[in-house]
Parts: sequence; C-alpha cells; structure tokens
Amino acid sequence: MAVINVSAGSEAVLELSPVGDIDTPANVLTVPQMQDITINNSTGVFRFKTLDNTAESAVTTPATNQLSLNVVVDEDSFFGNATLTANGAVIETGLFGVSTSKTKVTFRAYFNGTDSGSKYLEGAGFISGLSPTVNMDAPVWISPVTIEVDGDFAEGTEA
Amino acid sequence: MRDTLLTQITTNLAGSNVKVSSELPFNNGGEVLYMKNKKHFYLDAEQEAREEFIKCLDKNDVEQTTTTLNGYLTVDAKNQPGDISNVVASILSANSVITNTIDNSAGVTTEIENDAITYTFEFNFITII
Repeated sequence: MAVINVSAGSEAVLELSPVGDIDTPANVLTVPQMQDITINNSTGVFRFKTLDNTAESAVTTPATNQLSLNVVVDEDSFFGNATLTANGAVIETGLFGVSTSKTKVTFRAYFNGTDSGSKYLEGAGFISGLSPTVNMDAPVWISPVTIEVDGDFAEGTEA
Repeated sequence: MRDTLLTQITTNLAGSNVKVSSELPFNNGGEVLYMKNKKHFYLDAEQEAREEFIKCLDKNDVEQTTTTLNGYLTVDAKNQPGDISNVVASILSANSVITNTIDNSAGVTTEIENDAITYTFEFNFITII
C-alpha cells in the first residue's frame, strides 16, 4: 500500500497534445500552475423494478469520463504561441484555441510526477468549460478547464 | 522603487518650502536626521514582504509582494510652513508614479514632540509575481 501524495517532483501533472502525439515532447503542453484536478469516471446505471423483486435491479450503461481542473491563466498555455506552427495545435493555439476549434486532444494525467514508474491515466477528449475570471479581490486570471473525454481512460505507467 | 518615488516627490515639491533629501533618515549623534534638519523630507529604505497568493500543484506558486516605504518630515509645530497642506498632498500623490501594482496606497500620521511636529508617511505597493 502506498499513499500517492503531492510533493515536489511527485505532483499531479497534466499533459496535452494533438491526438496520438503524446509521446512527442515538442508537441506536448504541460499545463502549468494547476490549482486542482479532478478525474471523473462515472459509470452510468439504469435501474428498473420488477414485480417479483423487493429491490430495484441495476445494469450499467456507458460511463461518462471527464477531467476538470482550475488553472492560473498563463499566456502561452492559454493562447498558445502562433510561431510554433510545427508543434501542433495545442502548442500553437493553446487551451483557448483547441477549445474554440473543437479540436480533439490526447491527454495524460499523471498522479505522482512524470518519472519512470509514475502512474497515469490517458485518453482523448475535447477542451471545454473555459471560463477565465478575475476581480480586484483576486487580481490574477484563473479559469476552470474541463476535458470531455471521448471513450475510456487507459491506465499506464511511465517507462 | 525608492529612487522612482523620491524623484517624483522631488518634482512635486519643487518650489515649496520643503526640500527633499536623498539620504536615508539615519541617526546622527543620537538624533534622527529629519528631527535635526527640519523642513527636509527623508525617505527610508524599502521594506519588502512576500507571501503566497495562489498555491499551485507544480509549486510554481503565485506570490504577492508588499513593498513599504516610510517617509519623514519634521517642521516647527507652532510656525508650520504656509504651504504644509500642499506639501503633504504633493508627497502623498507621488505614489501614482509607481505602476504595475494591484494596490497602491499612501497615508500620513503626525506626532508632536516638544516644539516639532513630525509627519510620517507610509507608502504601500502590492505587486503580483
């Protein structure tokens, strides 16, 4: 048994890339300054009652998979770097770009850093839910980000 | 930041009855300079305090820096310069020269000792890094 905690070098990390490019470092955006991240794997359930049973029955339906996080808005990661056209849409247009263009991305969410042996969940999905906000009591732009996962999570271990 | 503020205060007080000294308000022979040299404004060194503003998972935290500068001006309590109100207002308004802050404030308090009144100014500048 080993608790996965957040400490220097062993923190939660989220990487994004164009679909299928997650192992090409130059095309990968490591989302900076995340405040929190939540991974949702919510299995759907259909419940029904029968006359010969005193309790409801249940069958599973496809799961809804989603990642949600809050980030401090970083100019490069949010708006991208238009000069880096060779590095794919995520690097070039940032979170906002792939959200507005509805470009599917590959993500890899590490639980305890990116060193060899680190566990992660991987999948593909669409960036959604951007809602940058700022006010005079909290004068730094912060935005929620949601990744609506298309399909399943795949568990992996960093080589 | 001290140099910028001092330059603006010097500009604002040009032609007034108060001179601006670039020296720090240190003790000289047991007496602070602003008590010794009346009608001279002194600006102390910067005091800086950093604190965590937003904590991030990658330890790349957002920090808030509060820079405080104190200024001192002593004049004769009974015979204050005729333009003392303008002098105080001019010193306080100099804070606007410092930009890129999320909060910028200035205040003044007074203290009378014997025949002298000392105006103590406090400038606070908060920045995010």
